[in-house]
Amino acid sequence: ACDEGEMVIKFSHVTNTDRHPKGIAANLLMERVNAEMDGTACMEVYPNSTLYNDDQVLEAMLNGDVQMAAPSLSKFEQFTKVFRIFDLPFMFKNIEAVDAFQASDAGQEMMQSMARRGLLGLGYWHNGMKQLSANKPLNEPGDAAGLKFRVQPSEVLKAQFEALDASPQPMAFSEVYGALQTGVVDGQENTWSNIYGQKFFEVQDGTTETNHGVLDYLVVTSTDWWDGLDEGVREQLNTIVTEVTNERNAAVAEVDAEARQAVVDAGGEIRELDDAQRQAWVDAMMPVWEQFTDDVGQENIDAAQGINANF
Amino acid sequence: MAGKDAPRSGWGGFVDEFEESVIAVILGLMTIITFINVVLRYGFNTGLIWGLEATSLLFAWLVLFGISYCVKKTAHLGVDAVVNVLPAGPRRLLGLIAGAICIAYAFLLTKGAWDYWSNFANLPQTTGRWFPTGLEEMGRTSYRGWYEVIDIPFPEWLRWIQPIMNDGQDYEKLPRFIPYVILPVGAALLLFRFIQATLRIWRGEANGLIVSHEAEDAIDDVAHLNKGD
Amino acid sequence: MDVVLLFVMIIGLMLLGVPIAVSLGFASTIFLLVLSDTSLASIAQSFYQAMAGHYTLLAIPFFILASSFMSTGGVARRIIRFSIALVGHFHGGLAIAGVFACMMFAALSGSSPATVVAIGSIVIAGMRQVGYTKDFAAGVIANAGTLGILIPPSIVMVVYASATDVSVGRMFLAGVIPGLLAGTMLMVTIYVIARIRNMPQDPWRGWGEVWESGRDAMWGLFLIVIILGGIYGGIFTPTEAAAVAAVYAFLIANFVYCDMGPLKVAEGERKRTLLHKPIALITAFFHKDTKDTLFEAGKLTITLMFIIANALILKHVLTDEQIPQQVAGAMLEAGFGPILFLVIVNVILLIGGQFMEPSGLIVIVAPLVFPIALELGIDPIHLGIIMVVNMEIGMITPPVGLNLFVTSGVAGMSIMRVVKASLPFLAVLFVFLILVTYVPFISTWLPTLLMGPELVVK
Ligand code: NA
Ligand code: NA
Repeated sequence: ACDEGEMVIKFSHVTNTDRHPKGIAANLLMERVNAEMDGTACMEVYPNSTLYNDDQVLEAMLNGDVQMAAPSLSKFEQFTKVFRIFDLPFMFKNIEAVDAFQASDAGQEMMQSMARRGLLGLGYWHNGMKQLSANKPLNEPGDAAGLKFRVQPSEVLKAQFEALDASPQPMAFSEVYGALQTGVVDGQENTWSNIYGQKFFEVQDGTTETNHGVLDYLVVTSTDWWDGLDEGVREQLNTIVTEVTNERNAAVAEVDAEARQAVVDAGGEIRELDDAQRQAWVDAMMPVWEQFTDDVGQENIDAAQGINANF
Repeated sequence: MAGKDAPRSGWGGFVDEFEESVIAVILGLMTIITFINVVLRYGFNTGLIWGLEATSLLFAWLVLFGISYCVKKTAHLGVDAVVNVLPAGPRRLLGLIAGAICIAYAFLLTKGAWDYWSNFANLPQTTGRWFPTGLEEMGRTSYRGWYEVIDIPFPEWLRWIQPIMNDGQDYEKLPRFIPYVILPVGAALLLFRFIQATLRIWRGEANGLIVSHEAEDAIDDVAHLNKGD
Repeated sequence: MDVVLLFVMIIGLMLLGVPIAVSLGFASTIFLLVLSDTSLASIAQSFYQAMAGHYTLLAIPFFILASSFMSTGGVARRIIRFSIALVGHFHGGLAIAGVFACMMFAALSGSSPATVVAIGSIVIAGMRQVGYTKDFAAGVIANAGTLGILIPPSIVMVVYASATDVSVGRMFLAGVIPGLLAGTMLMVTIYVIARIRNMPQDPWRGWGEVWESGRDAMWGLFLIVIILGGIYGGIFTPTEAAAVAAVYAFLIANFVYCDMGPLKVAEGERKRTLLHKPIALITAFFHKDTKDTLFEAGKLTITLMFIIANALILKHVLTDEQIPQQVAGAMLEAGFGPILFLVIVNVILLIGGQFMEPSGLIVIVAPLVFPIALELGIDPIHLGIIMVVNMEIGMITPPVGLNLFVTSGVAGMSIMRVVKASLPFLAVLFVFLILVTYVPFISTWLPTLLMGPELVVK
């Protein structure tokens, strides 16, 4: 618990604290703040949606009821549609390309882009690249036609599955395992961490390693709160967030690989794509870009593609 | 059945009828939307993507709209074991105290509801932690008319509000201030009904604010079956 | 310490005659304003999100609606007739049939009081006519009525699932065997008492009557097949199952049983079907009976959700003050094992059940005990069933017990007389509670068989 006179920083998130990349990072952040800023500030982490879910937390942040959170990037589409770039299929070759883009001018500018609406990004936290799974083998894009996929609420993700002639279905995350198991929906897209952590692979025919999208989080705070901090406190906090971000992001490839291996060890089927197969998926999903070019800006797409070329 | 303790004529009757109809229609809509989505998904591999969110919002509307009606009809559940053994005098006193607490509760909820909703409607929150002491000075981030819901599309016939609420920019989805408006409205109605109910106790027209269990009405309908030993 | 004060304040307010919902909400609000820097706006947000942000809880209005369409006198009468045809010829047959009818009605209804009212009003009268004492009849029904929340569908299970993020479908499946077991234990007890006291038995009416009455009741009972079959068969989620059940119940009540709506006729008149009046397919949606049923279900939903929403505000206080961690820490430090822990849970719930509406109690207690249970290796589904059975028993223990009230109203008896009358059967339910608490596979076997082992992701 916090001591008298310390500034309380509430960090609310929706995952577990010991196995999920976000939960691990949030706990590390808490430990460092409480050790290094002892007497000045004190962080309390509220995991597992015990305080707010991802949608509520941003409202609460604007009202000053919570100071930090790390919702997935698509949650920020309501603040500025630029964030739709992260949901566009095959925009990034791999998580290293994502990382480089986020570190680039375009990516750093996006962290500031919501300031006029009261939010400030402090750092991107990786989860990993998204894979596609269903209750039948997915080798070609045509295999997904006619299937029902659970999607996160996002216009881009809906369009992505519509491009496959599949049916996007919104569904609370807590219902997904049961829905996949009984067949209410046929498939889903997620990172290895989530596919293993939520045991989705147990109730799917297999997972196709498409790496077609990215699931990342943005650590945010409210501009009003942030601007009200003492200069020194703000800088120290910012430094800690940046260091935790770099440390955990560097470890995430390993976490991702471990989760993938754990799926294999548990008997989950993983389908790798050869170049031709992969190109077929790219061709099927690419038309989605056009629909959202105005939202995300051609210059950002160009920047992302320029970075891809280096990987 | 509903409303047997109130006259069903005149203005009061009309208001009862209106509130009951709204409650029935909202629940009916929730059921139909959910059912249609099952049929669309299972039978036709498609669905109303906004159905889930719309049903959830209607659920909030059902309850927030209905709580004040249930105060009027003394339908909220409570523990009457202690109250019932008291003689009329102390019982009336307890009723008034309970009424005052309900009024205080509804008052705090109304202030909270206004503070929560107002920025979404580009209006000022109240200042003060417990009591509204004034109106905030609107800052840059106090204008949240742009904040949209997740899935429900913006209805075309409402386009005229864009210049007023969103600097003339197009809404893609329904702005949040529309569904959220039920919060201040419902809370204010609740406050109003609690004041009325407390006045009824004051005037000796009512005994309390609660009913001891949900089946009270239904029991009255069947009680005659088992009279005597 | 603060928390003790908080709970004392809540209970005090309730005893004053403040509505349960307001007692929870008012005390919590005061505590948030005094102890934390949480704003009133945040409390309003919690209130709104209690409905809009808890997708699982949406099942509550739908199950209540389905139950309302099915709670017309006609359905209860058909179920009772079928029960008597099956078991009426045993010693104590009508009482056994009453339990059996309660079990079947529980499969249509998510609440216990509704079960007592629907079945009790008819069965108690019937039992008295053939020579049972009123006390015996009331004691049987008060106890059997509690099965309403154990046999799926169950509002209390929906609330537990929502509070702990376990699957509603799993909880429903987990309730099936305990529900059948509790019903069987009650029926066997009645049979034994009936043999000793030589209670009346009906003549056997033959398989024809079983078939005839069974076919008639089957339309209603098919609801449970739709719910469990639909969830397990991958047609819909549990929440959607509730909505489908409501639509099904509407169709059956209007067009098959014709207990309501445009095809309803006065007693003795010839039955009309859709063929005589096809326009009824349209008019049924706008019929006054439909509106009234929607409204009554809506009203019950509102009063329950008012309590749950305010219980969620209390949960917000507890989370904000990090009480669950403190409680878990204290209990684990004290070295409590699973057995002692479950005893404590039982005691908390039995006491809490004196004051609280069951769903509100679950919202408050589940987050407190759930983390500890996981730590101690107790299966979340098993814990859920234990909590539900505790709620059941809370309903028939004095001084405050929902089913005691309802039964006393239905039977026209004083509460104390109902308490005395239900004591022998209450003892049976206590034995049952101990069984369910310490033999986990009674609860977990069926869900594990049909849906695979429980997955704990926390
Ligand atoms: Na039930
Ligand atoms: Na009790």
